[in-house]
Amino acid sequence: MEIDIALQVLDHQLLDKNGRRCGNVDDLAIEGGPGELPEVVAILAGPGYWPQRAGLIGKLAGWIGGGRRVRVDWSEVAKIDAAVELKRAATELGLGRGDDRLRPYLDKIPGAGR
Amino acid sequence: MSKFLGLALGILAAIGGFVDIGDLVFNVSAGATFGYQLLWVVVVGVVGIIVYSEMCGRVAAVSGKAVFDAIRERVGFTPALGALLASEVVNLMTLAAEVGGVAISLQLLSGLPYRWLILLAIVGLAVIVWVTSFEWLERIFGYGGLCLLVFAVAAVKLDPAWGKVGKGFLPHLAQNNKLLYAYFAIGLLGAALTPYEVYFYSSGGIEDEWSPKELGLNRANAIIGYGLGGFLSFALMITGGALFLGHGISPEHLGTIALGAENPLGKTGLLLALVGILFAVGGASIDTVFSGAYNLAQFCGWEWGRYRHPRGAPRFTLTWLVLLVLALAIVMTGVDPVILTEYAVIFSVVALPLTYIPILLVANDKTYMGRYRNGRLANTLGLFYLVVIMVVALSAVPLMVLTNVGQN
Repeated sequence: MEIDIALQVLDHQLLDKNGRRCGNVDDLAIEGGPGELPEVVAILAGPGYWPQRAGLIGKLAGWIGGGRRVRVDWSEVAKIDAAVELKRAATELGLGRGDDRLRPYLDKIPGAGR
Repeated sequence: MSKFLGLALGILAAIGGFVDIGDLVFNVSAGATFGYQLLWVVVVGVVGIIVYSEMCGRVAAVSGKAVFDAIRERVGFTPALGALLASEVVNLMTLAAEVGGVAISLQLLSGLPYRWLILLAIVGLAVIVWVTSFEWLERIFGYGGLCLLVFAVAAVKLDPAWGKVGKGFLPHLAQNNKLLYAYFAIGLLGAALTPYEVYFYSSGGIEDEWSPKELGLNRANAIIGYGLGGFLSFALMITGGALFLGHGISPEHLGTIALGAENPLGKTGLLLALVGILFAVGGASIDTVFSGAYNLAQFCGWEWGRYRHPRGAPRFTLTWLVLLVLALAIVMTGVDPVILTEYAVIFSVVALPLTYIPILLVANDKTYMGRYRNGRLANTLGLFYLVVIMVVALSAVPLMVLTNVGQN
């Protein structure tokens, strides 16, 4: 099946193999020299990639967001549907770390699991 | 019974969006200033929000995409980031105003000092959201807000000139005071189409775990919920017109609004009105605080939703907690909640096109929507309302300046 990278991949939700929301496709790494067919080699996720998308305002937002960058190899993609579905769990790919770090603090408040 | 309970999302989204603190005052002031002449504008607004809510609810049920997902995918990164910033500012302003409204209603009910009640309102909201499932939040605040139906009884009891009321439903321009009339019309449209209604509604559909099976329920929610919100708007405007028009009274306080029910119905009317207002502004607080958290989480791709529980969606949870604290700080400065929301409504129109265009685009996308994509009716109405939205967006700020925020 043919997919439109700009319309169906870029800026879409990333889901890990358990259906967990673990970031968006903030940018794509594309390789290919002159005369070659360009090829998407990786998904780039995290506020660290926002400056290259939106100039000054992206720089500011990326800085507020902590500037983390995660590179997910294209071979990790299981399926492209309404979201981009990945083959492994978010933690194995370095995604969703902000949520994982914050969780122990929220767990101290009674009722966090309900 | 379960079918009736299933309508809670639409009712909460509509009550929070249509009869929040700003609308309560705006509708009654519109009545006090122009009688029943602006009723038709509410009809235009109601149909518009029904069309777009149905669309974004359908997108949520079929593709699992909420409105801010669609915005980021469709308008490009930079405009989406701009829409995010605008919507966060407007959501926070509105949230602060609604929390102020909760405190004012509590004060009118109890007589305790305002500032303590602000604190109570914030802590109360945080605890209620923390311990209550999304389903019950919808039910408590949606159905509690139905006490506002007392204004429909009040409107009938006041026995307005029904011929004039009927004429008010026919679109027409004002004979005099054209600028102020236009300001009120734009304000009513802006309030009816406030972006946070669709942010909340579409994410709420995902919270309620809608699938294509629930498309009938989505339609019923949009039509009945917003229809009811519009009906309450009519009742408030008619009450304002029957009671205040020509007396030089322009209601600027929630207490004055409640008097609209006390005048014809006595103490019971007053009590029901105050309880209704309390739940409506409380519901609007929930709408706005969740919208703020939904939008940020969706833009960043974080896990989100009350249905995921706080430990399943930590950054989403932290976001709504932080928004409540920021709202507390804003209301504590003593700023007038009513003025705050009037500005919020007018500024939110800037985010209107960036919110509604992506909904229309995604609802037409064959890849995700398949046979559930927009039909001819939804597209015709959708395009018509895009034009309305553009007019509203372009004229809101100039009209606000020209009429001195509706004061002349």
